[in-house]
Amino acid sequence: MNAFGLAPLILVFPVIGLLLNGFFGRRFVDADRKTGEKLSGGFASVMALSSFAIAVLMFFSLRSHEFHAEVINLFNWIVVPSAKLQIPWAIQVDTLSVTMMMVVTGVGSLIHIYAIGYMHGDPNFSRFFTYLNLFLFFMLILVTGNNFLMLFVGWEGVGLCSYLLIGFWFDRVDKNGLPMNANAGRKAFVANRVGDLAMILAMILMFWTFGTLEFNTVFQSAVELFEEGHMVHFGLFSATLPAVLTAVTALFLMGAAGKSAQIPLYIWLPDAMAGPTPVSALIHAATMVTSGIYLIVRSNVLFEIVRASGELLFGIVSSADLVAYTGAATALVAGLIAFTQFDIKKVLAYSTVSQLGFMIAAAGMGAYVAAMFHLITHAFFKGLLFLGSGSVIHGMEHGHHHLAHGDDHHDDDFDPQDMRTMGGLRHKMNSTFIVYTIGALALSGIFPLAGFWSKDEILAHGGEHNFAVYLMLTIAAFCTAFYMGRQLQMVFFGKPRHAAAEHAEESSPLMVIPLWILAGLSVVGGFLLNLPFLTESLAEANHNHPTGIFLALEGWLEHSIQAFHLSEEGIVHLPHTPIVFSPMVAGLSTVLAVGALLLAFKLVYRDRPQTADERDPLEKIPFVWKFFAALPFETLFMKGFIPLFNKASHWLGHTLDGTIWHDFVHERVIRDNFVGFASFSADVLDTNGVDGLVNGSAKAVKRLANLIRRSQTGYARNYALSVFLGAVALVVYFVYMAN
Amino acid sequence: MPEVTVEWYVALSVLLFSIGALGVLLRRNAIIVFMSIELMLNAANLLFVAFANHLQDVDGQVLVFFVITVAAAEVAVGLALIVTIFRTKHSINIDEINLMKG
Repeated sequence: MNAFGLAPLILVFPVIGLLLNGFFGRRFVDADRKTGEKLSGGFASVMALSSFAIAVLMFFSLRSHEFHAEVINLFNWIVVPSAKLQIPWAIQVDTLSVTMMMVVTGVGSLIHIYAIGYMHGDPNFSRFFTYLNLFLFFMLILVTGNNFLMLFVGWEGVGLCSYLLIGFWFDRVDKNGLPMNANAGRKAFVANRVGDLAMILAMILMFWTFGTLEFNTVFQSAVELFEEGHMVHFGLFSATLPAVLTAVTALFLMGAAGKSAQIPLYIWLPDAMAGPTPVSALIHAATMVTSGIYLIVRSNVLFEIVRASGELLFGIVSSADLVAYTGAATALVAGLIAFTQFDIKKVLAYSTVSQLGFMIAAAGMGAYVAAMFHLITHAFFKGLLFLGSGSVIHGMEHGHHHLAHGDDHHDDDFDPQDMRTMGGLRHKMNSTFIVYTIGALALSGIFPLAGFWSKDEILAHGGEHNFAVYLMLTIAAFCTAFYMGRQLQMVFFGKPRHAAAEHAEESSPLMVIPLWILAGLSVVGGFLLNLPFLTESLAEANHNHPTGIFLALEGWLEHSIQAFHLSEEGIVHLPHTPIVFSPMVAGLSTVLAVGALLLAFKLVYRDRPQTADERDPLEKIPFVWKFFAALPFETLFMKGFIPLFNKASHWLGHTLDGTIWHDFVHERVIRDNFVGFASFSADVLDTNGVDGLVNGSAKAVKRLANLIRRSQTGYARNYALSVFLGAVALVVYFVYMAN
Repeated sequence: MPEVTVEWYVALSVLLFSIGALGVLLRRNAIIVFMSIELMLNAANLLFVAFANHLQDVDGQVLVFFVITVAAAEVAVGLALIVTIFRTKHSINIDEINLMKG
């Protein structure tokens, strides 16, 4: 079976969906709310599912095609014969892109269905689904393109959709009257712009060096030129190929840092939680933010050549290793910040930043398959967690509505996302509780859930190849389990701390069913995709029987990650693969994860405080407080750990992240200097320089004219005198000088 | 009785021309200015004729006819202008006519 010809359809379906929803969705919904919503949302979901079907079709086609990559040329996009520039619009179907397609459309479809329930009653229902389909379209361009420019089109497109969807409720204002959602969208857009600039520079460099932007050609000629020891000429100076590739890969890292929310550009992702929860799940957890990882995995050849050449960025660190360190540092810092968040979605947001750090770190260490593996499992369980949190928020809002209608109790400050107002929801929202727990355990890396396998593969790589990265990631993994334990405790256990939590209700089946599917995937996903201890034999089996049904991810992706083959040829030195399952690493991380979960359950909140408003009401009653203080465990925790940790996290969250990074570096250093330079250009350079030149020349002409006009007296005799003097002058000239 | 040489004519012509030039520059009555211009033209004519006689060349005399013709045309135009100005300004003092002052 070979259905590669159908590949363009994967892009066509979302376009149909977005056009129909964009032009007619509103009319349907306005005409009849109930059926209109079903039609609008249902149609968008069906289009997403159709794309998923095409992705699955591609999967089977590849299998019957012995996993050989196939390029489907649609048309020539940009052709400049004089510059030998030819950029096609072509679809690359290989194991890597098909993996991404399946994740994007699979998880995307579930989230579409969930969103029908979640967005119920929203005045802009059809606009939401238009944007979702537009996002799918751009995301699929990003992953299916066969050249860097197409990837960049998708890259920009998903950025646009991210902006549109973060600011979906753009008219909402916060307590100070600021349009917080619109501002969050803007922040995301601007932060991404920094990364996009790096992407453009990288592409220009790449085109200069290789004369093309097509993946396969670039990678092939990169290898050839590397073996030849080719020099790249830039007019006045030349550079070695590894030096150029170091620049390209470092710029790619910066682009990935923007899109995948890594240090130093991660600042936009927590704010992006202003968008509707399905958006947080789809764009800011499962798919868009992983495009940075896709980019690095796709460019594996370039990174590995840099690593093999030993070329160092600024003489300090190889740009490939820099990727690993950036990822690990992000994983750790974001994991720590997640401790101190009270917003249910912000915890997940920082968790996403942290998990993306894991993936980036894996890709940076050369563990491309591990990175992709974690990308897939993370899409399952983080999508699940976000949708679960959406369900919780929905339940809380429901409870709050119930209150508002029930009696006069009404507080405008009520925040349905604040975990301090929750508690005890496990009884009210049973399904959500179960699936949320599954997601949390999967994220924490508890055996045998999906996160365990993928996180351990990354940790095993780190343990073998880069101890610093391993150490940071292990601590980050500990943090992961801790903040998830804390979140479970605060949201689902204990007693309700707010009246809204008491009246919370389970969400509609339309929302819960996708949760169960994702929960199922979170349980078995890791197991099915990549049994680490079976990988070696499976990879063998796949070599011998390429049409075998059961595929380990390693054997599957190896067909797209050219660095594997180059490594076999000895051109680059990929850390050996497939990685052997390391019982030590797995054991240690499991112990840590379980320990962190238990610790979180023991320490955080327990049944205190009782209400959301009070920080700790017991503190007000001295003898009760003393009684609690007498319990050594509580004392130790409350007096020793909490203040210290509060200080540390406050320092990290407010001083380092807020004051130093956001306020000082971003506002003072970058913005103020930029504004200063801009106002210098506008007020000084433009007014005095440019305007001065223009006005000055006009003034000079005017002054000269004033001077000359005096000679025009209007008296005939003056003119006569000048004629006379002219005549005399002529006579003098002819008589005395002409000869 | 000394012989009247060409120098005498030249001297007379210079005298006439100077009177004319000074008249143009100094007088205010437009008619007088006009007459002064005629004086300068005729100074030139005198010189033409004198040199034509001196050099025994008829070209100079021919040129004089042209000058007289042009002068006649000029008088016609000029007098018409002066009459028109007088009608509007009730004066032919050229110092009062400075419409072209910049």
